[in-house]
Amino acid sequence: MAQNIAPGNSTTASPSKGNSDKAIAGRDSHSVSKRLQHELMTLMMAANKGISAFPDGDNLFKWIGTITGPASTVYEGLSYKLSLEFPCSYPYSAPTVKFVTPCFHPNVDRHGNICLDILKEKWSASYDVRSILLSIQSLLGEPNNDSPLNGHAAELWANQVAYKKHLVEQYKKNNVDEK
Amino acid sequence: MTTTEQSAVNKTWELSLYELHRTPQEAITDSTEIAVSPRSLHSELMCPICLDMLKNTMTTKECLHRFCQECIITALRSGNKECPTCRKKLVSKRSLRPDPNFDTLISKIYPSRDEYEQHQERVFAKLNKNHNHASLITSIEEGIRLQIQSRQKNRKSMQEEGTTPTPTPSAPSTPTPSEPNTPTTTNTSAATTANPNNSTNATNSSALGPKVKKPRRTSENESGAGSSNDGNPGEEIEGPIESGEIELVFRPHPLEMNEDNELIRELKDSSIRYIKTTANATIDHLSKYLAMRLTLANRTGELETELPSSLNNFCIYIAPTPDQYIGVGGSLTLEQINEKYWRHKIRSWINVGFWDSGSASENVTSSGSCLKSDEETEKKAVLHLR
Repeated sequence: MAQNIAPGNSTTASPSKGNSDKAIAGRDSHSVSKRLQHELMTLMMAANKGISAFPDGDNLFKWIGTITGPASTVYEGLSYKLSLEFPCSYPYSAPTVKFVTPCFHPNVDRHGNICLDILKEKWSASYDVRSILLSIQSLLGEPNNDSPLNGHAAELWANQVAYKKHLVEQYKKNNVDEK
Repeated sequence: MTTTEQSAVNKTWELSLYELHRTPQEAITDSTEIAVSPRSLHSELMCPICLDMLKNTMTTKECLHRFCQECIITALRSGNKECPTCRKKLVSKRSLRPDPNFDTLISKIYPSRDEYEQHQERVFAKLNKNHNHASLITSIEEGIRLQIQSRQKNRKSMQEEGTTPTPTPSAPSTPTPSEPNTPTTTNTSAATTANPNNSTNATNSSALGPKVKKPRRTSENESGAGSSNDGNPGEEIEGPIESGEIELVFRPHPLEMNEDNELIRELKDSSIRYIKTTANATIDHLSKYLAMRLTLANRTGELETELPSSLNNFCIYIAPTPDQYIGVGGSLTLEQINEKYWRHKIRSWINVGFWDSGSASENVTSSGSCLKSDEETEKKAVLHLR
């Protein structure tokens, strides 16, 4: 019964959903930007620890978010940038969320794609940027090793000391590359 | 699922800093009325889908979560047959029912919903301007227009009262009518000082190009000497960057624009301008603003003689110290300039010059300083306005 509303990994703004497209197309982009403005305002007013997000330039439909690694996990002290792209059917379909900063993690692939159910089939219209970023932040410390995108990371996870060593090496290497 | 529940819980029950530290209030036992701020109610009256106030409220029959009719029906049609808040199964529209009582409640709390929505729009417009350069220009234009209107009004009322058009200290505290409409970007308060101190008698150079003066390092102590500083040497200056806004003063360039200059004679007292704008405005924006400001003044007959129509190219200088002028590139934002020239100085100056490409004799330069937005300087700016 549940038709998937998964926009997949593609960045296309029009998910193929049969007659549901019509319903969504009827809503103008004004209501979408209004909702995004609401989110932006709440995010700016409430200081959330370890997460932040802001539109990338003048385009309200593309944001850049930042999360810091949760405390007392191997990711503590590291910070990651993510890109969020909102489809016209937002919030009825999920935004496309990717890591911009390379992230060594069992559920993140080399291109930054994230395997997280709430961004796919478990998306709900009452999720927002804040809940997405919080979910990804907690995913960092609690990976789902049963369906890894990065097998090496999933195997290494059991050995937290070795994992942390590798993680920090990778992180430093990438940060040097950026500079 | 847990995330939803958590966030729902957080929204309702997480204590704010104020709530954690406030002194407890006595329980009210008599018939005292309590005022509840609309903001604290907002999370209760909000649709979790559009994040707006509930409109034609629909309630899920089983889990009693509320949504706008339009929002929840779109959500159901888009394929997810579960409650957006708690994931309870929602088979169809029949799992919902209208909740007119809640609509009545909202209309009691917000009797004028339109007004609330307009307020929202204004807040969003403000938000937008902070990261939208295009609307920055529009709002600058709008501000200028409003400002001219008020100026003309002021002038008229002054003439009627038979007073001289000099600054009156009794001016009310909010002299810019443009402020409520364009709050963040364009407090383009044109200042009219009684006597702009352009005392330098250097000959008006007829050079065609913008002049970039070699930066001369002078010590901070010397900064009060000579040049365009019209008093108030104790004034502490820096760009208040935290708010995303920068206040600055345009002054005529002391060397390139002396009292004999045609445009300066024309502008008279209003040649010094106090401007407050967002930190992401660029020098190009300022230059455009000056051009627009003068063109509009020209068009509305505010000036007595016609100015050349091609007032569109200005050369803007920064003065880190009062007698040092550095030409700045058009794409630099005020924030960058602030970083580069003002941040680490106790006293620093923005000398903004402008230059008209139309004719060499119209070479116009103006300079200014960046004001600190403390009460004293603000008052000073206010006084200059009238």
